[in-house]
Amino acid sequence: MAEEAEFKCLRCGHEFIAPYDKENPQEHTCPKCRSNSVRRIKT
Amino acid sequence: MLYRPLGKEVIGLPEGERIGVFVCECGLNIAGSVDCEAVRDYAERLPGVALAVRNRYTCSDPGQEEIKKAIVEHHLNRVVVASCTPRLHEPTFRKCIYDVGLNPYLLEMANIREQCSWVHLHDREAATAKAKDIVKIAVARARLLEPQVEMEVPVTKAALVIGGGVAGIQAALDLADAGHQVYLVEKEPSIGGKMAQLNKTFPTMDCSI
Amino acid sequence: MMDVGRHPRIKLLAYSEVEEVSGYVGNFRVKVRKKARYVDEEECTACGDCVDVCPVIMPDEYQMGLSSRRAIYIPFPQAVPSSYTINIEECLGVQPIACGKCAEKCDKGCIDFDMKDEIVELEVGTIIVAVGMEVYDPTLLDEYGYTRFENVITTLEFERLVDSGGPLGGRFARPTDGRVPKRIGFIQCVGSRTERRGNSYCSNICCMNTVKDSLLLRDHYPEIDITVFYLDMRAFGKGFEDLYKRSKDAGVRYVRGLPGEVKEDPETRNLLVTVENTTAGRLEEHELDMLVLSVGLEPREDSKTVQQLLSLSRTSDGFFLESHPKLKPVDTPTRGVFLAGCAEGPKDIKESVTQASAAAARAQIILNQDKIPIEAITPMIDLDLCNFCGRCARVCPYGAIVDVDPKRKVSPRVIEAACAGCGTCSAECPVGAITQRHFGDEQFFAQLEAMLGEGPEEKIVVFACHWCSYPGGDMAGVSRLQYPPSARVIRTMCSGRTGERLILRAFALGAPMVLVSGCHFADCHYINANRWTQRRVERLWDRLERAGIRPERLQLEWISAAEGQKFARVMGELEEMRKKVTPEEIEYTKQVLAEKA
Repeated sequence: MAEEAEFKCLRCGHEFIAPYDKENPQEHTCPKCRSNSVRRIKT
Repeated sequence: MLYRPLGKEVIGLPEGERIGVFVCECGLNIAGSVDCEAVRDYAERLPGVALAVRNRYTCSDPGQEEIKKAIVEHHLNRVVVASCTPRLHEPTFRKCIYDVGLNPYLLEMANIREQCSWVHLHDREAATAKAKDIVKIAVARARLLEPQVEMEVPVTKAALVIGGGVAGIQAALDLADAGHQVYLVEKEPSIGGKMAQLNKTFPTMDCSI
Repeated sequence: MMDVGRHPRIKLLAYSEVEEVSGYVGNFRVKVRKKARYVDEEECTACGDCVDVCPVIMPDEYQMGLSSRRAIYIPFPQAVPSSYTINIEECLGVQPIACGKCAEKCDKGCIDFDMKDEIVELEVGTIIVAVGMEVYDPTLLDEYGYTRFENVITTLEFERLVDSGGPLGGRFARPTDGRVPKRIGFIQCVGSRTERRGNSYCSNICCMNTVKDSLLLRDHYPEIDITVFYLDMRAFGKGFEDLYKRSKDAGVRYVRGLPGEVKEDPETRNLLVTVENTTAGRLEEHELDMLVLSVGLEPREDSKTVQQLLSLSRTSDGFFLESHPKLKPVDTPTRGVFLAGCAEGPKDIKESVTQASAAAARAQIILNQDKIPIEAITPMIDLDLCNFCGRCARVCPYGAIVDVDPKRKVSPRVIEAACAGCGTCSAECPVGAITQRHFGDEQFFAQLEAMLGEGPEEKIVVFACHWCSYPGGDMAGVSRLQYPPSARVIRTMCSGRTGERLILRAFALGAPMVLVSGCHFADCHYINANRWTQRRVERLWDRLERAGIRPERLQLEWISAAEGQKFARVMGELEEMRKKVTPEEIEYTKQVLAEKA
C-alpha cells in the first residue's frame, strides 16, 4: 500500500496530499500549476 | 573491444587555444532576428578566439569548406559553430573537422537558432545579446575541450522486429533478403495484423493477404 | 505474409511477447515469452478436425465478433504459422483435462496439454518497432448509436461483411434482417479531428478507405444508393484523387457535414440521420438502411510497455516519437532502435511499407558494420581521490561500475561497453573523483563562469538533458513559441549528471534561478538515472533552506522532447520568479556559498 504525504509546490505555493513511496519514487506534479518542483513537507 | 584513435593528429595540440568561431545566418532563420555580424564581431574578441567568420549557411558545402580551410590556414585547434541545435548538425561538423585532422571532440555547437532566434522573433536586440552570450559560453567550454578516443563495440549480426503487421513483415523481409538473421515477434497467433482483416486495399483495390 | 513463414533467415515467434530488453546498440539482449499454444506448430496441418469437437463457442475476433469460433482455433485460413491454437483462458481446462476432445480427435497427435510458456533469449544488433495501432471504438460516441442500433457498424466490420472469407461468405447484407441494404451511409472522421471525444489528429486513412468501400459496393451492388458524410475529403496520395473522382462519377453522393444525431425507426430498423449540409446550407434528413462509421486509428494500449522496454518517447497523441520529424523519421532516441508503420502515427499500407523498408535500411547501416564506435563520454576515475565508498556503483543504472568494496578498500572499475554515459556516477561522487569524458566539471564550471560573469541577476541557468528537455527546448523553437530571453541552457547527457557541485556553483556565481530538467520518469534514457536527479534536488532544497536560501530558487521540471509548449511555459514562469529574486538575496547566497567553498 502506498502511503500518502503532504507536498508543497515550490512554483505556486500550493499545498496538497499525494501518494508517496520512499522506495519507489514517482514523478510529482502540482495539481494547481502543473509544476514538477514539488517538495515533500517533512513532519 | 578496440580503441580507435580518431584524430589523424595533423595538428599539434594545444600550443595555446586557437579557436575558430563560425556564425551561421541560416538564411534568415537566424539572421532574421539576430544581428549575426555583431555576434561575429563579439566572438572575435573573446579570449582564445583566433578567427571568427560569418556564413550564410555553415552546414552547406561552401560553409564546411571554409571551416576546413580555416583550420589549416589559421592553425585552429578548437571549433565553435554557432547555428542550430547540436542534435541536428553536431555529427556533420564533427565529421567536417575530422576530415582535416582535428579530433571530433574539439567541436562545440552554440544553439542560436532553436533556442534563440526562433523563440525571440520580435526582439532583435535581446536575441542578439542572448546569441552573443550563448557564443561566449560555448567558447568558454571549447577552451577546455580535449581530444577523445572512441571505443568500438562489436555488432551482433541479427535484428529483432516487434510486430508482425504489414510494416513488421516488410521490415523483416527486407532485412532477411539483405542477408541478415531476423527474429519476428508477433503477439497474436498469426502474423498479418490489421491488414489481414481488410477485404481490398486502396489505391490499387487488390487483396490484402 | 507467406514469404515470412518460408524465409530461411526469418525466425518467426508468433503468439509471443517481448518481456525484457537490455544492452545497447549492436548488443541488445532480449527475452521473449513464447506463449503455450498447446498445439505443435510444426506438426499441425490445419486440417480443422479438432474444431468440430470443441464445445466452447466464442466470438471470432478476426470477424469482428460477427461470427463465432471455438476455443481451439486458427484466426483465419491463410494464417502464418498455419497452426491452430488453444486459448487456454477459454478452454474448459487442461490441468486436469476437463474435456480433451480435441486431443482425441487429432490424428497426428499435435495437441499437447502439458505445453508450457517458453522464454526465448535472443541477441540482436538492432530492433525495429512495428507494433501497429488499434482501431477507434465508437461505443463512446453515443449520438451515432453504435451498439444501440444493430445496423450501425464500423468500417472494419464492413470489411468483414463484404469479404468472401467473411462471416456471410461475401454475400453483403445488413445485420438485422440479412437483406442487401438499399441505402447505405458512411460517416467520416469518427473518433478523429475532434476535441470532444476521440482524438484531435487526422487518422489519415479513413477518407480513402471509404472511397474504396464505395467503389467496392458500386462494383458488386450497383443498385445500392451510397451517401458519404464528411468534413473534408483528404485524397492527397498518388492515385487517390483519381479514385475519389471515380467514386463521385459512379454516383456516390458526398455530403459535406457530419451528422449531429442518428435515430432508429423501431419498425423498419432503418436509420434516420440529421445533418447540416454545409455546401447547400440546409438541414437534411436521410433515411438509410445501414450506416458505416469510418473509424480512426489510435496508439496501441500496450504502447507504454514497449516505450519502457526500449526507453522510447511518445508524442502527446500517444504514438512513438521519431528522432527528428523530417530528417530522422524512422530513428528513435535510442540508438539502434527504429520505427515502422502505425506505431509512429496513422498511415496507410503504402506508407507503412515505405517506412518499413526505410527502417530496415537504417538498421542495416549498423548490421553491415563489424564494429561501431561508442561515444567517448564514459567516466574516468581518479584512484588517488577515490575513498572506495561505492556510491558510483550504487547509482549506476547499468551496473557498469564494479569491484568497488568500502570494507576492503578495493577501487571501482568501469566496464566501458556497458556504460551509456549518463554521468550520474560523476555527479554523485562525494569526493569528485569521477570525471565524465567530454562533460567534466571544469567544462561546466567554465560555461557557468562565462554565463554569469556579466549581469548574472538577469539570467536563468537551465540544465537540460540531451534526450528530452534539450530537444523540448528545440521543439519550442521549431514551433516558434516565444518566451523571455533570460534562459541560458547547459546541455548534459542526462539530468543525473547535474550534480550538487554544478548547481551550487551556479548560485555561488550569482544566478537568481536554477532549473534542473530531464526526461519524464517513463522516458529516462538511462533506465532510471533521473530518480537520482529528483533525490538530489530534494536534498538540495533542504540544504538551501538550512543555509537561509529560498529553496524556490532551485526548480525541477520533467520535459519531454515533444513538450515544446511546456518548455516555453516553464521559461515564462521562471522569468516571473526571477524578477522577484532581490539583489540582497543573491549577494547573501554568494557569501554563504563562498564561505562553504
